[in-house]
Parts: sequence; C-alpha cells; structure tokens
Amino acid sequence: MADEFTPTWEEVAHRYGRKIYNFAYRLTGNPDDAADLLQEVLIRVRKGLASYHPGSFEGWLWRITRNAFLDGVRKKQRRPEWALPEGDHHALGSSPSPDDVLASVRLSDDVQAALLKLPYDFREAVVLCDVVGLTYDEIAEATDVPVGTVRSRIHRGRKLLRGMLTWPV
Amino acid sequence: MARLTPNPDARGELFSAYLDGELSPDEVALVVAAIDGDEAAVEEFRALQAVRRTVRMLPSLEVPDALLPDGHLGALLSAYLDGELTVFEHKRVTGHLVACTECRSELHELDRARIAVRSLPGAEPTTQTEVAAVPRDRRWRRVVAGGLAAAAAVTVFVVLAGGGGEQPVLVLEDLANRHAARASAEPGFAVQPTGLEVSSP
Repeated sequence: MADEFTPTWEEVAHRYGRKIYNFAYRLTGNPDDAADLLQEVLIRVRKGLASYHPGSFEGWLWRITRNAFLDGVRKKQRRPEWALPEGDHHALGSSPSPDDVLASVRLSDDVQAALLKLPYDFREAVVLCDVVGLTYDEIAEATDVPVGTVRSRIHRGRKLLRGMLTWPV
Repeated sequence: MARLTPNPDARGELFSAYLDGELSPDEVALVVAAIDGDEAAVEEFRALQAVRRTVRMLPSLEVPDALLPDGHLGALLSAYLDGELTVFEHKRVTGHLVACTECRSELHELDRARIAVRSLPGAEPTTQTEVAAVPRDRRWRRVVAGGLAAAAAVTVFVVLAGGGGEQPVLVLEDLANRHAARASAEPGFAVQPTGLEVSSP
C-alpha cells in the first residue's frame, strides 16, 4: 500500500528496527550480524530518505534491508576468517560438512538451526513471510522477483523445513 | 475453473499460499476440493500448517537499546575514549555516532574533559583502601578508574570553561590512533575505528 508521507529516520528506526533486527537474526542466527545489519540499514535509510519519493515505503525499506544484508554477506565472503551463515555456502560452490553446519549454528534452537540450513533464497522468503510478516507482493518487490517465484520459494522452504523438523503427532 | 494439478509441489504451493491468505477465490476453492476426502493431501496440508506456525512462533528478539536513536551511548562513550570496548561494542558505538548528533556532541565534551583531567599536574593519591577495593580483573579496574576520572572531569571542565583557558580539542584521528595503539599492544583488543566521520562542533 502506498504511503502518502515520508517518515523521519527516527520513526523508521522505531517502527521497523525490531523487524529488521529479527530479519537478520533469523537469517544468520547471530546477534552481532543482526546488530550490524540494523546499523547499516539505518545509515542507508538516513541517507536515502532525502531522495525518497513517497510510494511503497515498505518495498523501498525492505529492498534496502535485503541489499545491505547481501552486501554484508559478500564482504564476509572476501574475509574467509569470518564464518558465513551456513546457507550461503552453497552460493560459493562449497559444501560444508555436517560438523561445519553445526558449528555455525549458535542457537540451540532446532527451528533456527533448520532455517539456517535452507538455501538462501528459500530462507529469505520464509523469513520475510513468517518472521517479518510481509505479503507475497511486498516480498516480490523487496527481492525483485515475480510473485510466483516468491510463492514457490516459500513453499519449497517450508517443505525442506518439514523434512528437517519432527512434529508431534 | 482450473483443475488442481497432481504435481505435489504445485499442490503444496497452493496449500502454502492458502495458509498465507494469498490465493484468489478460485484457487481457494481448489484447495478446499483437494483436501476433501484425500488423506495424503490433508496430511501435507497439516504438515505445512505446522511448519508455518512453528516459524511464526519463533520469539521476536528485542533490539539492543544502543542500536536505536534514543538508545544513546552513555557510558559506552567513556569506554570508547579509553579504548575499552569489545569489537562488538566498538561497532555499535561507531555506527551510532555516525547517525547521532547528540552522542557526537557528548563524546566531544567527554573527550575535552578527559584530556583536561589527564593534563592536570600533581600526584594521584591512592590509599591502601582504594587499592584493596579494586577488583583484580584489569577491565574492571579500568572501568573504576574511568568512573573516577569522569566524575573529576565534570568539575574540571566547568572550571576550564569558566576560566576561558585554552581547551583541548577533540581530534578523531587521535582517537583512532589510541585505539590502534592499544589494538597492536593487545592482540585480544582488536578495535579498528574505521570510516567514522565526526565533525567537531
């Protein structure tokens, strides 16, 4: 839905800070990465608000958020001493051993661990849908893919999660 | 009306989108028809429902105060000046300083006060009692010392400001050098202030 006004940087921080933080946390399982991302996004929002034209604010914000996140991942790929989020290894063409996967999981939370095992595109779609609460249209706008692709990614992500988690009957 | 394809992925996709309220009325009708009387479909639907619910029930984490605009840095500023931050804290501080005029201004004031205190002539009285009260851990000792210095700094700063004497000016390069010096002296203290652009008021 199009917003008719441009919020201030402080308003963005308060209204979306927690969602941005949780988005990054669920994608990485790492509070430091989540804090880094939130700071980076707020800096970019602050710079970008000056040239922002009222429109789909959420779409704009989540595009910034996603790009900041991916830039952060790319930076870390150039610095191999920093562990990557597990799901991004596949983008590098490497295949981590199960031990590596386990080592990269900081939470003893089965769901978080399972999320981290999803390929990035699926993990991102599931997190934007179920953690952030965006609609498929908003996710499509943020990730720059068609809505049909969003629908497919969310389903495939959930299907993989279903295989990794056991459910009480 | 379209028919539901037997492809399980396509069916699952519809179920998933249905759970998210993202289907057209026609597609909803397909889902309802598919679930009706098909045990395997019901099982798949329930499994997707459970996955979705589980991810949605992940706790929403609080954002650390210092990351948001009104979560000013406070005591972290003195620790920053003294080169006593962890790598994570250092990132938080530099990130916040770029965006927060108030904290930049406070940092400036604190640094002037700190330098003023440090340039005072005279002995530093240290009683046996004080020494005994200082925890063994080096970090804590520095925090205690920093606290005393900060308390003294307020008074000194007021005196200096009132006297109109020459006051120390905050130069961020100096800060960076101090951090770099500590970082090279203490391997565990890896702080590298980078990219911080703070203009002196």
